[in-house]
Amino acid sequence: MVQSLKLTMNKIFLGVIDDFAEEQAKGFDLNHSGSDTFFIVRSKNKLFAYKDSCPHYGDTTLPWKRHHYLNNVAEYIVCAAHGALFQIENGKCIQGPCLGQKLTKVPIEISEQNEIWIDQTIIKEFNL
Amino acid sequence: MNIIGPDKLIWGVEDLAAAKQFAVDYGLTPQNEHYYSALDGTGIEIRAKDDKSLPAALTTGSMLRKTVYGVKDQATLDAIKAEFTDREVKVLADGSLELVDDMGFVLGFQITIRTTNTEKAERINAPGDVNREINQPGVTKTDVPRVQSLSHVVYFVPDSVKAEAFFANRLGFVTTDRFTGVGPFMRPAATQDHHTIFFIQAPAFMQGCEHFTFHMAGPTDVVQAGTNMVNKGYQSFWGPGRHLFGSNWFWYFKSPFGCNMEYDADMDQHDESWQGREAMIGPDNSQAFLLQYREKWAPGPGGPKP
Repeated sequence: MVQSLKLTMNKIFLGVIDDFAEEQAKGFDLNHSGSDTFFIVRSKNKLFAYKDSCPHYGDTTLPWKRHHYLNNVAEYIVCAAHGALFQIENGKCIQGPCLGQKLTKVPIEISEQNEIWIDQTIIKEFNL
Repeated sequence: MNIIGPDKLIWGVEDLAAAKQFAVDYGLTPQNEHYYSALDGTGIEIRAKDDKSLPAALTTGSMLRKTVYGVKDQATLDAIKAEFTDREVKVLADGSLELVDDMGFVLGFQITIRTTNTEKAERINAPGDVNREINQPGVTKTDVPRVQSLSHVVYFVPDSVKAEAFFANRLGFVTTDRFTGVGPFMRPAATQDHHTIFFIQAPAFMQGCEHFTFHMAGPTDVVQAGTNMVNKGYQSFWGPGRHLFGSNWFWYFKSPFGCNMEYDADMDQHDESWQGREAMIGPDNSQAFLLQYREKWAPGPGGPKP
C-alpha cells in the first residue's frame, strides 16, 4: 500500500519499519502508474530496497501478484516470469536466466525514529 | 505418428496453495486435489515439489516435471514404444508411456483425454459476412470467458537444433516457422494448430518451461480473461497483443509456476502444403501490435460530455 505522500526536505516518506513484517516485502508506486517501480524487503531485521526490474530483460517487473517478491520460505527474492532467484541481502541472481547479475539496489534512508524515506533525487536518478 | 498435442502438464511447485489459487483464478476447473482442467479435459496437475510421485526435477529449478502428450490411438502408443529402443520406455499403470527426451525432459504419451467439449469460436460480423446469430449481442458485462484447451508449451533448451531433430525425426513433428538462431515452432502430425511447442535456445542453466498456454474461444475472451486476472491483482508480463507467427492473440501473466502462463486465441491452422517462414526474433517480428491494460475509462466526468 503506497502511503499518502509526506514530503520533507525533498524526501518522500515510505512508512515506518513496523509497517514491514519480518521476511516480508512491499512494492511502491509513487507515481500511481499502476505498476510498482521499487520494493523493500525486511529480512533478519534489516531493510533492503531494489528496483522492481528483472535483469533478464531489464524492463519487466518481478512479482506474479503485488508485493509477492519472496519465495514461499522467504529465503530469496523471486522473479515469477522465469523463476529467477536473487539473494535478499545483495540482489545477486543465483538461479535463473540472469544468473550472476544483480537487481539494482535503491538507496533509502532510515531515521532515528525508524521512519523510512527516499530522496527525490534518487527517484529521479533511478526513474522510480 | 498421430500425436495431437499436450494433454497435461505436471508441476512440482514451491507454493502449492498459491499455484492452485492461480489456476482457479486463471479459469481452470479443479477435478480433484491435483488436477485442474480446461473445458476439453486437458489441463495441469499441481503437486508440491517434494511429492514422491513426481519424476525427478531438472537441476535448473524448473517446476515443470513432465509433459504428457495426447495421441490418437493405441497404435500410436505402440509405434512410439517401438521407436524408442535406444532408451527406457516405461509403461505406467494407466497404460501411458514415459520416457526422457534428448534434452532431459520427461515426456508422457497417452491416448488423448481431450473431448470435443469446447465452445464455438468467437463469431464476428463484417459487412456482407455475418457470422453471429441475429439479435445475439457480441459481448455483455456478464460474459464469463472459459478456458477451452491446453494449447502449447515453450521450452528453454540448451540445443534447439537437437531438440528440433528429436521431435521431427523421432516423433514426426513438423516445423511451421522459425526464429533464426532461436528455434522452431512445431506441430505434431495429428493437429493443424500452428504450434504445440516452440523451442528457445538458451544457456543450459535456463533449461525449463518459458511459458504454457491455453486456447480461448476468441480475442474477446483473451482480453476479458486477462482483464479479470489484472482485477484480481495478478501482474501482466506481455500483452494483450497479436503474434505474427501463428497469428494467435496473446496475453501473458507471471505465475507461481516459475514461468509465464498465457491465454491465446485464433491460432493459424496448417497442413502439409504450408511453406515455413523464418525471421529474426525481436519486437517487430514477435507481434503485429502490442496493447497495454488501463483501468476502465470513458470520456467526460461520469457521463457524456458535449
